[in-house]
This record gives sequence, C-alpha cells and structure tokens, in this order.
Amino acid sequence: MASIASRRLAKELSEIKSEGCPVGIKLVKADDFATWWFTIEVMGESLYQSEVYTLQFRFDAQYPISSPAVQFVVKDGLEAPIHPHVYSNGHICASILGNEWSPVLSVTAVCVTLQSMLASCKKKERPVDNDRYVRNAPENPKKTQFEYHDDSV
Amino acid sequence: MGNSSSSTSGRGHDESVDYGQLVPQGVYTGPGDWNQSITAQLIIARRLAPFYRPLEDYEENWDDDRILAARKPLPGSETEQQPPPTPTLAKASKRSGSLKEPSKPEATVYRGAVECPICFLYYPPNINHSRCCDQAICTECFVQIKRSEPTATHLVSEPAACPYCVQENFGVVYSPPPWRAGIGSEGSHSLWSDSPKGSQQSIETSGPYPTHKRRQKSFSADSPEVVLIDHIRPDWEAKLAAVRAAVTRRANRRIIMRQVGDRLIPVGVTSGRVHALSPEEAAQAAEAGSDASGSRRSRRRQQAPANGNFEQFVGMGGQELEELMIMEAMRLSLLDHEEQQRKEAEEKKKTDAAAAAAAAAAEEPASEPGPSTLEAATTPATSSSLSVNRNSLTQTRSRSPSPNPLQALKDTATMWRRRTSSPPPFSTLSAALSTVSTASAVLNGTGGEPTPSPPASNPTDAEQTIPTITVAAGLPPEAPAEGSPVRPNPTPYEPFSSPISTHSSVGGPDSWNDLPSSPDSFTAREPLLSEPLGGPETPKVAPEPTDYFGGASGAAHE
Repeated sequence: MASIASRRLAKELSEIKSEGCPVGIKLVKADDFATWWFTIEVMGESLYQSEVYTLQFRFDAQYPISSPAVQFVVKDGLEAPIHPHVYSNGHICASILGNEWSPVLSVTAVCVTLQSMLASCKKKERPVDNDRYVRNAPENPKKTQFEYHDDSV
Repeated sequence: MGNSSSSTSGRGHDESVDYGQLVPQGVYTGPGDWNQSITAQLIIARRLAPFYRPLEDYEENWDDDRILAARKPLPGSETEQQPPPTPTLAKASKRSGSLKEPSKPEATVYRGAVECPICFLYYPPNINHSRCCDQAICTECFVQIKRSEPTATHLVSEPAACPYCVQENFGVVYSPPPWRAGIGSEGSHSLWSDSPKGSQQSIETSGPYPTHKRRQKSFSADSPEVVLIDHIRPDWEAKLAAVRAAVTRRANRRIIMRQVGDRLIPVGVTSGRVHALSPEEAAQAAEAGSDASGSRRSRRRQQAPANGNFEQFVGMGGQELEELMIMEAMRLSLLDHEEQQRKEAEEKKKTDAAAAAAAAAAEEPASEPGPSTLEAATTPATSSSLSVNRNSLTQTRSRSPSPNPLQALKDTATMWRRRTSSPPPFSTLSAALSTVSTASAVLNGTGGEPTPSPPASNPTDAEQTIPTITVAAGLPPEAPAEGSPVRPNPTPYEPFSSPISTHSSVGGPDSWNDLPSSPDSFTAREPLLSEPLGGPETPKVAPEPTDYFGGASGAAHE
C-alpha cells in the first residue's frame, strides 16, 4: 500500500501535469515520490530578473503532515540565489518550511511562496551568519532549527 | 442474507459507528501517538467523524459497487469490517441490481463524498470541520496534527495551529448524520443484519447527507462541541515536562576532566547546545553543582562550559557585559597564575626554607600571606583584605558563602576597571574575544611545564589521574555563592579559572561555572601552591593566588 505521501504526491503531480505549474515555475523532474526538482524564476521586475534557480523537494513518508525538505540546488554549476534568507549551500530560512508548514500547503504552493520571497527582496545579500551556518549545516535543512527573522524581505 | 445475520461478521460491526470505524484505516503509517481510546469514545459520542475507509476517487454518478471498489484497500485484512466478505460482492451487486434499491448503506454513506484537503482522499460528507474556518478534515488527518514536539533546544510545546487558517488551538466540530448505525444506534446495534434495515431506511428517507452548509460563526476552543487536538493527546504536558527534565539533567551533567601535569584535559565533553535556563532549572543546576563540589575531593575542580562559543554573547546587555569583564579579569588572572606557578616552581627549588616560613606564617590568621605576597600586593587595602580572606579560609575552610558574593565580584570587577585604565566596555569585549586564542596559546606553552608541585608533597602526582568533575553549561550566577569565601578579595585577577576555561571564559554563563569550584580548587591545589605567594613579577593588578588557593595554609596543612 502506498503511503499517504506517495498517494498525495501522485495527486499533486497529476494536477501539475494536467493544469501546469504557476507561471515562472517549471517541473524539472519527479521520477519518484522522494525527490522533485523545479526551476523557479521571478517574473517581472525584481533583483533576480532573468535568473533561474533550481529548487529541490525531498519528501518523507509523513508528507504532507511533515514538511518537505526544500532547498536550492547548488551543484553542477547551479547556485542559490543571493538573498538574506538563502544560505550559499541552498538552505532556505523560511517559516513555511519549518514551524509554519501546514499540510494544506502543496509543492506548488511552496514554489510560489519562495518565488515571492525572491520577488520582494530589496537587497541581494547573504544571511549575516552564512559562513558559520554553512560550515556546520546539516545535510538536510529540516534538521536545522531556524530562527525566523523579519518577514519584510 | 444469511451471512449478514451470522455473528461471525459481527466483530467488525461491533466496532463500527455509522459505517465507519473506531480505528484508523491505514491512511497514515507510522506510530499513532494519540490517545486511541479517547478518540474512540469521541467517535462513539458522535463528536468526531468515524474513521471511514477513504475513496481514492469519487464521482457523483458512481454506483454503489463502484464506490465500494474505490475504497482504499486496507493495509491488513485483519480489520475487515465488511460484513459481507469480499467474495460476496459480486453476488451482492447482482442482487442489488435485481432489487433496484440501494442495499448497501456502507456505500450509500459515501454519497456526496468530500475530499479531505490534506490527504486528498474522499470521505462521506459527514466529515469533521475545523472549528475556526469550517474547513473539512478527515479524522485520519485530524489525529495526525499535533503540537510541535518539544526538543532540548526548543523547550516549548506550542498548540497546533489550524492547518487552514493558522488559528491557534486547532479543533474540529462534527455534525453526525441524522441516522445512526453500529455502536450507539437504537435497537440491535450489535447485529449488522438488523440495523442496516433501519438505518438504511433512515439513510434513504433522509436522502444523501445534506451538503455541509457553510457555517457563519466559528466555535471557540472551549466550546463543548469542539474536539481539540489536545483532547486526543492529553499527554502533551507530560511530554513537555519529560523533555524539560531531560534537559535539566543534561544541564547538570558534568564534564569529566583529567589532570595532566598542570592542566585539565576534558575526557568527556557534553555536546548539548546552550539554551536559556528557566530560573527553576537554573536553581536546580546550581544545586547540583554545589552538591557535586561539596562531595567531591579532587585536585582541581573546574566548572567547565559545555559550549564555549561566543556568538551567544554578542548581543548582550550591560549587565552581561559587566559579567563578561569580570570573567575576563578572572581569565587574565589565570594567566598570571600560570605564569606565577612556573616562577614558583623555580623559586621553590631555591627556597624551601622560605616555603616553610610561609606555611608557618599561614597558621596565624592575621599574619601576612607570605613572603612575597605583600610585595605583590600593590595597595595596602589589597593586602589587608587578603589577610582577612586568608583568615577565614584558614580558620574555617568552610564553604559558607559570604554575604553577598555577587556584589563582591562586582566590586572586584569595578576595582579592576578602576585600576587598569578602565577600558571602555567594548574594547574589553573585543579584547576578551581576541585574547582567547592567545590565551590558549599561552596555556599550551605553559602546559608543557612540569607541575610546580614540590617533590616533597606528592599529592600532585598521586592525584594526577583523578578526574575532576565540572558542572556543565547553564550554571546560573547564583552558583558562585559556593566560591564566595574568595570573592571579597579585591584583587581582580583571581586565578580561579583553570586552563580549559580559557577557551570559553569569554562565553558568559559558562564562566560562572568556574566560581563554585573555588573552594575545592583551594583545597585541591594546595600542593601546587605550597609556595603560593608568588609572583614578584605579578602584573600590575596584584594577582593574589594566595588567598584563593590558600597556598601557605595548604602547605601548613600538608
């Protein structure tokens, strides 16, 4: 019996395939129910104009009750956007990926949220503690207990 | 139907409510940590929707068989609650076709099925709705939602918010169907064959369950209709308490140190992250710390930090800053002490007689600490207070705290600030931060030095391998009370931090840990300081290891 995670992901995937992704977001790969990749691009005026980043989703068996592990892909020439909430290892400090995750959210909802996080950025810079965090960061960003700062950026 | 009246199929039915179940139907795997018996009672009371076997999909025009076929297969057939076993399905469908009447209430309940927005599965329309925003949620998903688990670094258990509108204290309201079946239904609720007739009619007469009318008001969390996630997980408080207790235990954990030569090497180090202790926890930790220092005899006692990173002190306020300065003073005094010990060791060899004299002198409470002490002391005030201290130490050797150790500490720091050209706080802070590496370097340098203990009094060697216990992180300022006897000493450069503390002495609360150890260090280090009053070379601020270590008295003691 497929787990709740794969069943729900199957439905999300079929929805994505039938209705398409929100604008600026493209499904790169979803070969299984463990790891999905999307590209994300901020549309319209923004500091990230015409920059395309790759987002990786990893799901555990308790999805959607437990949040997916979401980060930017930073290998094979891909880089994380320079943003006050995005570490150079691709980890993202966003409350909806942590304590504000809700099982009602979906993969595309997360994409859209991160897209707007980039879109509203005023200044391209790394988090102040980037070096320290990256040096000791766990492989899985979900293992990090982020403290969520302002919502203004 | 013969089979329906047989009691063999009764078991599943016994546990059914309105054609749903009291136990989850396998949507979620993993441990169920909610209180199942409370949940079952709520279902029986029709305050929570039963666990229905969900449909993978649903179309309005499906017939009963299609509906039943769409039901999610059960993970284990053990919970087969289907009164007609699967083989009879075909038969039943034929029969129902011929009778042209819905004969399967267990299918009828799915008419107008709604999709749960979380698991994306379809359930009978009598589904729970969030108390706050009136969104549907199946019972399978409802029981999965819980408070965030408290962790050692996150010592709170916040009530789960509504997954839809994020309102705190998630709860649901359930409107049961107008008919009843199974447990709690009138009549022969234990026999499937009888109740379906009645309930089937009820279903038929009431028609498909009326579509959920959007409710205008939301229910408050304490409404009697509302089932909160805390209701089915009443143990969350106990869990939180357990984690807190574990953290407190960990905070009281010691670091085991081994003395090698004149240095303490941590043998086991706690790895816990620093967290803010609540006053109670702090008190407990202090208690534990003092207990330990009271019961242990060791050459050196060091309240070592579990975590000596400085980041946590970057944003500190004025008071912390002052504490930091005090700690820095202590750290510097440690350096002096190290230096002094070296000198002492050299001097010792030359002047055994002097040591004896010092010992003799120490016997007399009011007498000068030692030959060189007075020279080291820069001001009369210092020396006099030194004598007093020594006095109390020699006479009582007690741990009784001085009236106000903290104030004494602060006085010390103040004096230190006054004496030195009182650097502005921030320069001190940065100095503290920057000197750490230097400090360790120096310590490493001195570490190689032989123990200054005199050959005669061998305790050093004898006790070298005795592990020293240190109280781990989070010791509160109260702790220093233990070490208070030495506090009144106006000399700021008290060498009571030990080498390891250098690495973290800049790091606030940890350094407090040093304080309680003082009295023990005092006894423990006696041999080291049998020639205490070291340092003619002592830097401007008159480091007085003497009073602290009671070097002279120690020698006498031996």
